[in-house]
Amino acid sequence: MFVMDAIPVIVILLVVLVIYGLAYVFYGKRILEKKVARASPDRLTPAYEKFDGIDYVPANKYVLYGHHFASIAGAGPIIGPALAMAWGWGLPLLWVLFGNIFIGAVHDYLSIMASVRHGGVTIMSIGENVMGKKAKYIFLAYVWFALVLVLAAFFSVASSTFVGTPTAATITVLFMPIALLFGLLVYRTGVSVKTGTLIALALLIAAFFYSLNTPLNLTYEAWVIVLSLYSIIAAALPVWYLLQPRDYINAYLLWTFVALAIIGALLTFNYAFTGPIYTSFAGPGTLIGALPGTAAGRANVAYFWPTVPLVIACGALSGFHSVVGSGTTSKQLSNELDALLVGYGGMLTEGAVSSLAVITPIALAWSFAGLATATGLPVSEALLKVGINATEVPVIIRLGGADRFAVGYGLEQAVAWSRVLGPGVFESTFLTFRTFAAWALASFVMTTLDTSNRLARFAWKEMFDWLEPRSKSAYRVITNRWVGSIIPVVLGALMAYPQIRVYVPELNEYRTVYAYSIIWPAFAGTNQLLAALALLTAALWAYAIQKVRGGTSLLIMIPALFLWITVTAGLAWWLYAIVPGLPPLYQAGAGTIVAISLALDILLIGLFVTGLKRARL
Amino acid sequence: MKAKEVIGLIMTLLSLIIFAYEVFYVGLTGGRIGVKGEVTSDAMLISAGFLLILIGPALWLGEVPANLKKLIEAKTGRRLS
Repeated sequence: MFVMDAIPVIVILLVVLVIYGLAYVFYGKRILEKKVARASPDRLTPAYEKFDGIDYVPANKYVLYGHHFASIAGAGPIIGPALAMAWGWGLPLLWVLFGNIFIGAVHDYLSIMASVRHGGVTIMSIGENVMGKKAKYIFLAYVWFALVLVLAAFFSVASSTFVGTPTAATITVLFMPIALLFGLLVYRTGVSVKTGTLIALALLIAAFFYSLNTPLNLTYEAWVIVLSLYSIIAAALPVWYLLQPRDYINAYLLWTFVALAIIGALLTFNYAFTGPIYTSFAGPGTLIGALPGTAAGRANVAYFWPTVPLVIACGALSGFHSVVGSGTTSKQLSNELDALLVGYGGMLTEGAVSSLAVITPIALAWSFAGLATATGLPVSEALLKVGINATEVPVIIRLGGADRFAVGYGLEQAVAWSRVLGPGVFESTFLTFRTFAAWALASFVMTTLDTSNRLARFAWKEMFDWLEPRSKSAYRVITNRWVGSIIPVVLGALMAYPQIRVYVPELNEYRTVYAYSIIWPAFAGTNQLLAALALLTAALWAYAIQKVRGGTSLLIMIPALFLWITVTAGLAWWLYAIVPGLPPLYQAGAGTIVAISLALDILLIGLFVTGLKRARL
Repeated sequence: MKAKEVIGLIMTLLSLIIFAYEVFYVGLTGGRIGVKGEVTSDAMLISAGFLLILIGPALWLGEVPANLKKLIEAKTGRRLS
């Protein structure tokens, strides 16, 4: 274990912000927007051309930025990096920065632009134009399975967050009616956006402080059911009614969340991280879903390469983003020039969440005793208030992923504000910001829950388009809005519902393992493979349709191929080392889905090579 | 008013009553809604209110807003029904 005391928080903050700024201007704007997509404000977008009042509806670019950011953010940029800290903070940070700039932000932007140029269809259907009809259906089936895993993982993450921090459940439940009210005020009563925003934000602040003292308690299983129903309903509602107003208000929450992370880093600028920059290249197998207490051996090892994409999902890159970009986002884009801020900027902001709001606070607060010594603040006493005994749990890494994040964020903010307002506010600011962090996580997840179900519906419908000319009535039944929504939710909920009790010899106690710990690597791996496929498709679109050649084309293709090799190897390791030790439900569910996905992936890569050869002729 | 709109209005009113009762009475007097580790009627009721308020106004006021319709018609030149 290597603790690098010499690096203060401010250095990491500056490095991250400067790298992202340069990437946005030099790679995003000058290369992707100008040379690859050649975006123009004069082309009418599908939001106008195909307006239907449900899914195709133009949105203001900041509203759409809020939607895209909140939808792609999910739990991925938070839970993944929080778990990956088991390798130390250096490797996860490097992966987030590299993945963000060269893969994540690229597939977000290009999938939006490619979709906009093809009438708002998904990246899977764009695959048909560059790889043939077979590729389209294979891609659609692959994405649909991946979305089922997204739903399963996020039902579990949201439910466990609400059980762990019930005050976050209260504010989440109160948030939705406030967002609806904002939408109705603006759309129906003619209230200006400014006045509507002020009313909504005032209500939201009141609701937050009410929630701090009023937890909403339900069991994990009950939350899975409530969230499943929410996902079905929210995904079927018109976007202008719930999605757009909620995501607009969400954007304020998310910006506050990121801004506070930056302020926290500025105020704690000279403190050194109490955590190690590097622990080991071979992390514990629990990182990729092995059950705690598993004996040493093949099942208890997670090598940083190739398994990192199975742990850090959306924070660095994510295929789900391409589906969002070419699913809900492209259908609401009102001007092609908005896509850079929405797609490339949205993804960089998500990277900032991972690096500044998750990795930095956890690295700072890694050792509770170390933090108390460095700051002179009553860290242990504050932790006891939320049921954490710092003697039994001396390092943050012993907490679960969601708790690790909320406690880390809360402690960094509490240390920061204690410097400004005095040590007397330490405990109360810790409790406030811990709830705030859990709320932000829940807010990301709730958005993703209905967006991913909406996307599963799109994929489902496109998957059955061959049926329409043969039997219109059968097509209508199968692709019905509710049928398309209910099937993936039921499958996802079935995987998220059970909890597993396992004996942990090191702690000499039984622990409850939430389903997401097991599903996460399957979800992350399938999702990252999808990222590689989506980026390859986008690269092929740039090559074959946009006629982009030379270094620019390679700049997109090489990272995509590197990712494809990494994730394929990581998933193969997961199937070989972890799956045999999982309970039968997960072997049959997540294991089978990943095995099918790998097979489809091999087929798709073959079609990609054929498509590339054809484009070169 | 169409039947769908009446049902939507009833659902909206019901959800507002549930929210008002749970937030202002149960929450403020008891300091919490529901009991940790249990499924109580209060927690179920506010969950039901949460789902009802999503659907109610959508059924009641569900058609595309007029200003949005106008914008699309102006940009595309096609008339929306």
